[in-house]
Amino acid sequence: MILVILLIGSPLAAAAVAVLARPYRRALGVVTAVLSTASLGAALFAWARVLREGTFTAASGGFRFDPLAVLLTVCVAFVSALAAWMSPLIGSREEYTDAQLRMLGILVNVFVAGMLVAVTVNNLAIMWVAIESTTMASALLVAIPRTKASVEASWKYLLIGAVGIALAFAGTVLSYVDVRQQLGPVPSALHWDAVVAAAPSMHPQVLRLAFVFILVGYGTKAGIAPMHTWLPDAHSEAPASISALMSGVLLAVSTYAVMRWKAVVDVALGGALYSNRLLLTFGFLSLLVAAFSLVVQRSYKRMLAYSSVEHSGLIWLGLGLGPAGTFAAMLHVANHAIGKSMLFLLAGRILQRYGTTDLRRVSGLLTAMPATAVLFAAGLFALIGAPPFGLFVSEIRLVAAGFATGRTLLTIGVLALLVVAFVGMLRALNHMLFGPVPDEVTVGEARASEVWPALVCIGLLVALGLGVPAPLHALLVAVAEGR
Amino acid sequence: MEAAFPQLCILGASAVLLAAIIPLWRRHVPAYIVAFQWQSFALAFVTALVGYMAHIRELYIVAALIVAIRGMLFVRLLRKLQARVGEITELKPLVNIPTSLLIAATLVVIAYAATRPAVLVASSPTRGAMPLAIAVILVSMFTVASRKTAIGQVIGFLMLENGIALLSAVASYGVPLTVELGLFLDALLGFLVMQILVFHIHDAFDTTDVEQLSRLKH
Repeated sequence: MILVILLIGSPLAAAAVAVLARPYRRALGVVTAVLSTASLGAALFAWARVLREGTFTAASGGFRFDPLAVLLTVCVAFVSALAAWMSPLIGSREEYTDAQLRMLGILVNVFVAGMLVAVTVNNLAIMWVAIESTTMASALLVAIPRTKASVEASWKYLLIGAVGIALAFAGTVLSYVDVRQQLGPVPSALHWDAVVAAAPSMHPQVLRLAFVFILVGYGTKAGIAPMHTWLPDAHSEAPASISALMSGVLLAVSTYAVMRWKAVVDVALGGALYSNRLLLTFGFLSLLVAAFSLVVQRSYKRMLAYSSVEHSGLIWLGLGLGPAGTFAAMLHVANHAIGKSMLFLLAGRILQRYGTTDLRRVSGLLTAMPATAVLFAAGLFALIGAPPFGLFVSEIRLVAAGFATGRTLLTIGVLALLVVAFVGMLRALNHMLFGPVPDEVTVGEARASEVWPALVCIGLLVALGLGVPAPLHALLVAVAEGR
Repeated sequence: MEAAFPQLCILGASAVLLAAIIPLWRRHVPAYIVAFQWQSFALAFVTALVGYMAHIRELYIVAALIVAIRGMLFVRLLRKLQARVGEITELKPLVNIPTSLLIAATLVVIAYAATRPAVLVASSPTRGAMPLAIAVILVSMFTVASRKTAIGQVIGFLMLENGIALLSAVASYGVPLTVELGLFLDALLGFLVMQILVFHIHDAFDTTDVEQLSRLKH
């Protein structure tokens, strides 16, 4: 109980403080950051406990912490702490008015709390409500800069996201009908453990239909092609700390919902072939669309956004490749959460200095902002899967799982597309780092101390690239085996 | 009399579907709002009917809520929104009317084909209305995608929500109140957030014709 209060209550408390305190003061940003760190502490505690005693429940069965839930909880809590410490709430405030900062302070905490509830709650309907609430909160967050582009991106995101999440609900209702026929009208018919237990006697015909709805619905929120069209706009127009949360973990939270349902469907259909095929198809399509979009990108923020589509696709591919693939995919979730959120936060700093997201007008970054430039370059290398960073390891494992399951042709296609993405992003990086600094841009790193959280991220990515630490390995093995 | 109930249910569900198609052949925004109102009434009728057949009193409350919130509150809010942003006609729909109607017809056929296996194994007496509910969902998605006025898109979303409420009523033969309340919450939250954004769009662009919003192409 204390764990849940600390984990989910902290962001809610921070939201309440932001509602009550007006006008906005810098201290409120510090409150958010401290409370998000407390939340991270609770998540780490849950990690230790799940390794020690296996799956446990809290708040009289309302919340369930199994290895998968704990992995996502730690990722969400980590990125939210990172985003809080690097957010405009504490840092430079010239970009936003006090009213905007107050909205940001309220909504970002509601958003984080929604994600934390979604991954830990034991009730599939409440999980859906939580994911829905993240759509609403994040759509309003995207519109905070109040520019034409951001309002438009927010509208597109809200509309597509709402339709997607409604489809996921239709899928949930269809399968719930079946569960209810097995269990009768008891409240626990909506609990994950009850649904999994009832799965063997559920109707495959109903679940096949339901799973397509669920896949398309949550896939829309996970940025999977061809439903990804909202993502590049929303992720590139949002304030940097929001982009970091949306790209780093919100996509993974939606994928989490798909994984939960996949476990049910696989049991009901007596095999994983059906769900694997769907996941592989959608995953490959996303990778294909993203890789070629990356090559033609002219904005570095949109480039990062398309890279999220790419990595979401890779994660779905991994999930379709059996236990070894799932291991790789989950390792990739952790790596991507660290790498991508750091890059969006650094991109926010670059935008602030250069005043443009146009790649062609950003050059000489190494001279203008040396510390940011080096970290940004390192992050981008990590993202394209270069050693010695964590994403290299998870991609190698994913490819190995592809060959091991006999999907040779598909895996070769994946490798080719990874090379395309690699070339596209490297070209952009090259242009940004070198060349002359534009006249109107000031040279020199102001407040270099603000980049220390990014340094922590690079350290973590390198550590994950050298080898998967034992506690993480144990957690990932448990997730892959479905314990 | 008992035998007539499933038929009545299908009739009510057909009315819901018919209302979902109206935005595709009318270009007048107030007509969209009226269509949504009638759709909500038809949905309330089906819900009450299921409540009567399955002897679930709670469903009467749900039906009353549908009339009050969807049929009246939302309609009032939509009219206010429309008056404030001044959208009257859909000038250039993305797809012309005959094509839209053909696509809607195809979607209904697809809905029947896709739900066939599920309908065969379902045990509820109202299962015959399931394909109609799925058709409402698909047609409303098409409405969202093909309308260019912001209000047209919002109504498409609200009709999609109605389709889901219909699905949950006829497929499960009496969903628990919590699920119904969740749906209300979703429609309400979604609608309120969309309303805020429509105002933002109006302020930023001086129009809510979504075609004007084309700055973000690649």
